[in-house]
Amino acid sequence: MKINRRQLLKVLGLGGLSSGLALRHPGARADAGAFPTRIVFFVQPHGHVPGAWNMPIPGLPEAAGQFADRPLAGLAAGDFSEVLRPLHPFRDRLLAIEGLAHTVALADIAEITRTGGDLNNHSVSVAGLLTGTRALQRPGLPCTGASRSLDQELAARTAAPGRFGSRLYGSDYVPNSTVAPFSFLGPGQATPIVGDPAAAFADLLGYAAPAGGAQSPDTRAARLRAMRPSVLDAVAQEYALLAPQLSAASRMKLDDHRALVRDLESSLAAPPRAQCDLAFDSTGDRTTQFMRLIRLALACDLTRVVTFVAPVPQCPEFGYPAEASVHATYAHASILSKTSCGQAYSPVAERAMIDLGIWYANHLANLLRELDAVPEGSGTLLDHTVVVWITELATPTHQHHDVCTVLAGGGNGFFATGRYLRYPRLLSNPLPAFPAIGPAQNRLYASLLQAMQQPDASFGLTAATGADGASISLAGPLTELHR
Amino acid sequence: MVLACAPPSSAPKLPPAPPAPPDGAGVVVGPAPLRRLTNHQYLNALHDLFPGQALALPDLPDDALVAGFDNAAEAQQPSDVRIARYEAIANLYAEAVTPDAPAVRALVGCDSWDTPDASAACASAFVARTGTRLFRRPLTDAEQQRFTQRLLAWKDAIDFEGAVRLTLSALLQAPQFLYRPEPDGASTAPGDITPVDPYAMASRLSFFLWQSVPDDALLAAAARDQLRAVADIAGQARRMLADDRSRRVFWDFHRQWLGLDRIDDAEHAARTPEVDAGWGEGTQASAGAESRSLIENLLAGGGTLADLLTSRRAWPDGEMARIYGSPAVADDAAATGPGLELSASERAGIFTRVAFLAGYSHRGGTSPPLRGNAIRMRLLCAPPVSPPPDADLSTPVADPGAGPQTNRMLFEARTRPAACQGCHAQLNGLGFGLENYDAAGAFRTHDNGLPVDASGQIHGTDVDRAFTGAIDLSQALGRSRVVHACATQQWVRYALGRAAVDAEAPLVQALSARFLASGGDLRGLLMDIVTAPSFRLRRAD
Repeated sequence: MKINRRQLLKVLGLGGLSSGLALRHPGARADAGAFPTRIVFFVQPHGHVPGAWNMPIPGLPEAAGQFADRPLAGLAAGDFSEVLRPLHPFRDRLLAIEGLAHTVALADIAEITRTGGDLNNHSVSVAGLLTGTRALQRPGLPCTGASRSLDQELAARTAAPGRFGSRLYGSDYVPNSTVAPFSFLGPGQATPIVGDPAAAFADLLGYAAPAGGAQSPDTRAARLRAMRPSVLDAVAQEYALLAPQLSAASRMKLDDHRALVRDLESSLAAPPRAQCDLAFDSTGDRTTQFMRLIRLALACDLTRVVTFVAPVPQCPEFGYPAEASVHATYAHASILSKTSCGQAYSPVAERAMIDLGIWYANHLANLLRELDAVPEGSGTLLDHTVVVWITELATPTHQHHDVCTVLAGGGNGFFATGRYLRYPRLLSNPLPAFPAIGPAQNRLYASLLQAMQQPDASFGLTAATGADGASISLAGPLTELHR
Repeated sequence: MVLACAPPSSAPKLPPAPPAPPDGAGVVVGPAPLRRLTNHQYLNALHDLFPGQALALPDLPDDALVAGFDNAAEAQQPSDVRIARYEAIANLYAEAVTPDAPAVRALVGCDSWDTPDASAACASAFVARTGTRLFRRPLTDAEQQRFTQRLLAWKDAIDFEGAVRLTLSALLQAPQFLYRPEPDGASTAPGDITPVDPYAMASRLSFFLWQSVPDDALLAAAARDQLRAVADIAGQARRMLADDRSRRVFWDFHRQWLGLDRIDDAEHAARTPEVDAGWGEGTQASAGAESRSLIENLLAGGGTLADLLTSRRAWPDGEMARIYGSPAVADDAAATGPGLELSASERAGIFTRVAFLAGYSHRGGTSPPLRGNAIRMRLLCAPPVSPPPDADLSTPVADPGAGPQTNRMLFEARTRPAACQGCHAQLNGLGFGLENYDAAGAFRTHDNGLPVDASGQIHGTDVDRAFTGAIDLSQALGRSRVVHACATQQWVRYALGRAAVDAEAPLVQALSARFLASGGDLRGLLMDIVTAPSFRLRRAD
């Protein structure tokens, strides 16, 4: 069933909810609640070489059968794992989480193996990662997302006049190419991804530009610009008048269109954000530019949800030869005794994938620096944001268990940061002859929904079945993360 | 003679035309969901409505694909980015066509709007004239009144020229322009089947055959109520297929059906030096343009499906000529003229062209399963197959010291296990037949120093047999009933913006039988589609 944003807010009684929500969690920062909680999904293609991501914390039990929780505060940069080291300056606001599983992908692969369909590990993961549901199989095409993804669900619930529901940025994964962009508006409907930072900036300006405030010069051009809301009003009226003449399905299409036109109209009429610097710096590579744009979009409250699909860089960008390719040369050969696609293990490939992980971590650290540079109350924008670093696969070799996850920022005091957590692997794996797994990533999504003040106790699939027939619950938040 | 194509009239004894019972009882018509203009249709429409404007426009978000096509009504959910782009583009066009008073005079069709009466009359005339072109029908009285009132209000706030600009922007964002609403008659009940409203029929024809807005002649035919009878519809369709704008439909359909757009993917920006040291920045675009000129020149000129698969005619530019080893005749994508014939021993039809051969290869080498699967799924409409989870999907490489091996030998060894052969017998059987072409699409007789073995086997069709090389394969497929049936099924999907429903299967079968019997006359197939009940009738929602 499809519910538009206004209906949903009404159902949830959240119509007027934004920054004023009472705090649910004791111990949050003093100014938490005075600023809205924002969320950024930093989605990395492939996955990590576990040994280089996992933290060698003294005293951490060797065995994976036991929950572990260690503070990060006392660790020096040299104590951090190679991949996480770039994030050391933000260690008080990190939650590094070891041991979650892409249980939905595992269950989906088990099912597709039985029933047939697109079994490509990348397309299954891309379809399921943020939707938390099994992929939608399509004749003759790679499978795709079967439902609205978490970022778009949050977008639908947090958008407001003058504010985009979400922004989806990325310079590599392109809709309608072989791999979709992780984010879906609905079944088979990839969210439009903006790959050009300049176009992304123009979009933000389109929502942010004042529609001719008192300080605008009274030129003819300014008066024409000031009529944009009036033109959009005329447009929206046409949709409202035409829709009742059509069938229910057609009417819904026009109603959705009209709501989006009204959003654009309202945004132009919103008061200019005087405190917000709308300048854009186009230096640096695209990822660097997008990190700045994310700061801009969040700081100016032009959206509260951003998904950034990180690129797969050309090899020279992280110090490897131009003729090599991340996917074909390195990924499958990077983990000793766990290679994939028939490739033999290579230490060079392992090193390359570790260096690639460090490359991503450096960009993420850059984003954290950007967010931390924006003062908000007694803290910074980073304090009021939760940055979610997740990966398409667990490892570069197509594994879906033992996932490496980072939350950064704390989300307005919702998460108890400054810790390294290891979840035990005690649950049955949906794939026969594969190792036991930790909690499902879907449960992290329940936590994220609650961090965003949503009442949900689950997201996507709520149960799966292990290869031994055991039921695996995918519902309920990971309360160990919460403050 | 440029094209060796039999005209439709020479086709021998066609099977009966698709069922055309009296409109009403017994006729089968599938649903008619509301369709939005695809990005291509939208840009074509702007191009045709405002000739001479070459504006730099922001990119629209991609249309979602269903079964490989971008025009499925079910997948046209709007997004905030799309709405923002529509506004930006509407404003750019509105500004570009109203730069000064003379331009506005030409657009509005008035000389003066100095007095209140004159400006009211001009406003009304502009709304009626431009509205009719954009909405593809005369405006209703209420629409006419709404837009005229808006224009006059904006005139009071700014000036007449500015108000025209704003009104044009509003018209360009209205649902009557961006979507294709089709009215049901006042007395129709859900499920009733009636002829499509004549103006809606004009849009059905033009957005199919021209991928753009109707011209004056179509709108005039609608005004005379001459777009209901089969003969009237056929007459207009014949005229439209003779117009250059019909080139668009042949390219738009085939680029999607055969996946010719793949050549534009980032992977094909480069080839390894071992494959083609000359592959440069412009090669992708050249390959795309060459396949486009082949399809447009061949098929808009009356070519058949078999011609598409076997013609040696080509319009290569310098870069494609380098790969084909031919002279060059073209310098851009709009290449027309007589073209030239490529080597009879090396090339025949679309599967021997760079856009296909390189688009279904990797940077460093060919992939016979990839090419074979493309032919299987796209040309034969075969269901997809997936490798098992533990399949080795990497490019096979020879063991050092094993001596030289061809690409074929490596793939044969990789897919030899019995578990692989269930699918790979079919994939390889087709794909190995294209091994005379390297990953850049260049012809080769040797691979890694050994002679190329391009023998293959066609499975699962009415023309199953052993073959050698792409030319032999293409000739066999060009005669195949299965191929003609697959093409028909896809054309129907493309024309209707939805898959045929079960009850329409007899129609698709009848269209397919006539298509095959006509010798694969594509223009004949399109004529049959637009005069079929599912296209010219409407089932009320």
